[in-house]
Amino acid sequence: MTAVTVAGTPAAPPFATARAMLRLHRPALFLWTGVVLAALALMVWGYGWLAEPAAAAYQRLKACDYACSYDQDAYLTYKDVLRYASYLVTFLPLLVAAWAGATLTSRELESGTAQLAWTQSVTPTRWLAAKLLAPATLLTAGTSLLVLLHHLLWAEGRRADVLGWNDILIFQANGPTTVALTLFGLAAGALTGLLLRRSLAALAVTVAVTAAVGFGLNWFRGYFWPTLTVTAPLKDGPWFGGSVVSYGAVTSTGAHVPVPDCAQYWSAAKDCRAQLDKQHIVRFYSEMHPYSHYWPLQLTATALTLALTGLVVLLAFRVLERHTGTVAKGTAV
Amino acid sequence: MSALTARGTVARANDSGAFGGLPWTVLRLHRTALLLWGALLLAVVGTLIWMYAIGADARAGLSACATPATDTLPSCSDVEAINTDETYGIGIGLVDTALSYLTFPVAAWAGAALIGRELESGTAELAWTQSVTPVRWLTAKLAVPAALIATGTTLIVLLNVWARRDDNPDLVGDWYNPDVFLSTGPAAVAHVLAGLTLGALAGLVTRKALPAAGVAFAATLVLYNVVDWFRTSLWPTDTVTGRAALHLPRSSQVLEHGAVTTTGERIGNNLACVGYDNATDIKNCMARSGLSDFWATRHPESHFWPLQFMETGVLLAVAALSTAAAFRLLRRRTP
Repeated sequence: MTAVTVAGTPAAPPFATARAMLRLHRPALFLWTGVVLAALALMVWGYGWLAEPAAAAYQRLKACDYACSYDQDAYLTYKDVLRYASYLVTFLPLLVAAWAGATLTSRELESGTAQLAWTQSVTPTRWLAAKLLAPATLLTAGTSLLVLLHHLLWAEGRRADVLGWNDILIFQANGPTTVALTLFGLAAGALTGLLLRRSLAALAVTVAVTAAVGFGLNWFRGYFWPTLTVTAPLKDGPWFGGSVVSYGAVTSTGAHVPVPDCAQYWSAAKDCRAQLDKQHIVRFYSEMHPYSHYWPLQLTATALTLALTGLVVLLAFRVLERHTGTVAKGTAV
Repeated sequence: MSALTARGTVARANDSGAFGGLPWTVLRLHRTALLLWGALLLAVVGTLIWMYAIGADARAGLSACATPATDTLPSCSDVEAINTDETYGIGIGLVDTALSYLTFPVAAWAGAALIGRELESGTAELAWTQSVTPVRWLTAKLAVPAALIATGTTLIVLLNVWARRDDNPDLVGDWYNPDVFLSTGPAAVAHVLAGLTLGALAGLVTRKALPAAGVAFAATLVLYNVVDWFRTSLWPTDTVTGRAALHLPRSSQVLEHGAVTTTGERIGNNLACVGYDNATDIKNCMARSGLSDFWATRHPESHFWPLQFMETGVLLAVAALSTAAAFRLLRRRTP
């Protein structure tokens, strides 16, 4: 881009760096567009043509106690399409992390292109800002669209009972946490690139870090919103509907205690009545999330991820500033 | 390596053994990968030895019990208090998963670091002007990691089979579970070797580190899923009919359950009456649903080895083909 190479003038056209950025990463842009379009096509097909027949087939099968012919092909095709779509959306942040780690900052620092650019009209701060802003816009747009459609695809076929709202494949892919995690992958890629300055090493580290954050979000997702407490009589065993975070027994004073070992299997619970009576256990309780907690849980996880992303971006600018010293004056904080 | 830069002589003074200094150079250049591989092997071997050691305790955690305890059966609360079975299941499961997915990082590494980077930077071309011919260069690049990977994964598979002891499916999963299947036989080794050669081919095709990593990963992903899809079709299935089809042993991998109605219609993927034990219940269920017969297609556990050998054969063929393609591409590129 000629605008970028104009000597020493800080006032390059405002979108010049972004345009240069898009130009440089044209293959990635094409790949991203291709992935988004392919995923969209898959999910539109599933949403418009497969979900309803699959749900109808499943309901018919359930109505006849699994002993009648039904549209098996419709059910199985929808199931496959939903699974592939869920895998794709779930692993998208890792794909973005790999790209960001390998190419965003590390490659240019490794080859010296970045240092060359900084001696031209682009300050390091503006260079990094453009590196983050242009892809962040495109990634947010693309991922939001995919998540939205994934949610539609899942909701339309909900009566087919393929995967529940709290399934590990569905919970994340159905909401904005995926968008936030994609942005985290981007930011983490920029930071590891600045720290390691080696393309392949940064790729591996960024994927590992983003996977760890995604895994952690899933692991702790039940704690992002207060649970409901549901109790059940002794003969039923604890309630296991929705998404159960923890369960236990309730004593006659209302205290919550762990379930005695002998009653871990409910079928055996009647055999240990004496043990339950001795501890004055009268009911079971479950700390759980009903489906109505889905959005609060999702949005808290999203806010947490975005906060983490902000922190990483801040760190990236700090690291850059330290590397480049006073060169970053002007736009630097 | 100074040995490599010695001018034009094939035989060098400090060569060790019959292979010359080239394998040593490959190891030296990729020492980060070598260290990572060594660390992974150590971790896995350590885990498996630990799992073998707690294997007996883990089985005690699943044993039959009674409340209160009898002369022959321990008390249920004692059995429930044993948590070793969970640790054991998680440990073996982690090793299984790691081994099943090992082919992906191996392919990406082979494409990017082993081949792509050297072609991108010109190091390979420089090496070829020295004492190393392109063919020997690629041979060493493939043979050294292939040998290390094959020995390592074989060791893991053998130790895994040893640590799983009696293969109790409640603890370590059924033999036909994809992760279990891919970590208890020769197919595990073949998968990783296919990943390595596909990665190398991707490196030669793209001649750039990062695109090679992407292409290698994508190609292995496709291979993995295609093999997963056709896994059960690589050997003819058994068909069981009548009442036997209603309670197949757990060790059978059931592929399809079906029922025949009194009008002769065959309904596939149907679990009607499955699980009913005595003759009267089954008769009632059949009358209620208007059914006359049942069938099931399955792989009994005796199909494990034929299925393993077929899958290994297919994957080794893929590895051989991609190796041949890589050499052919290299020859065409270099005079």
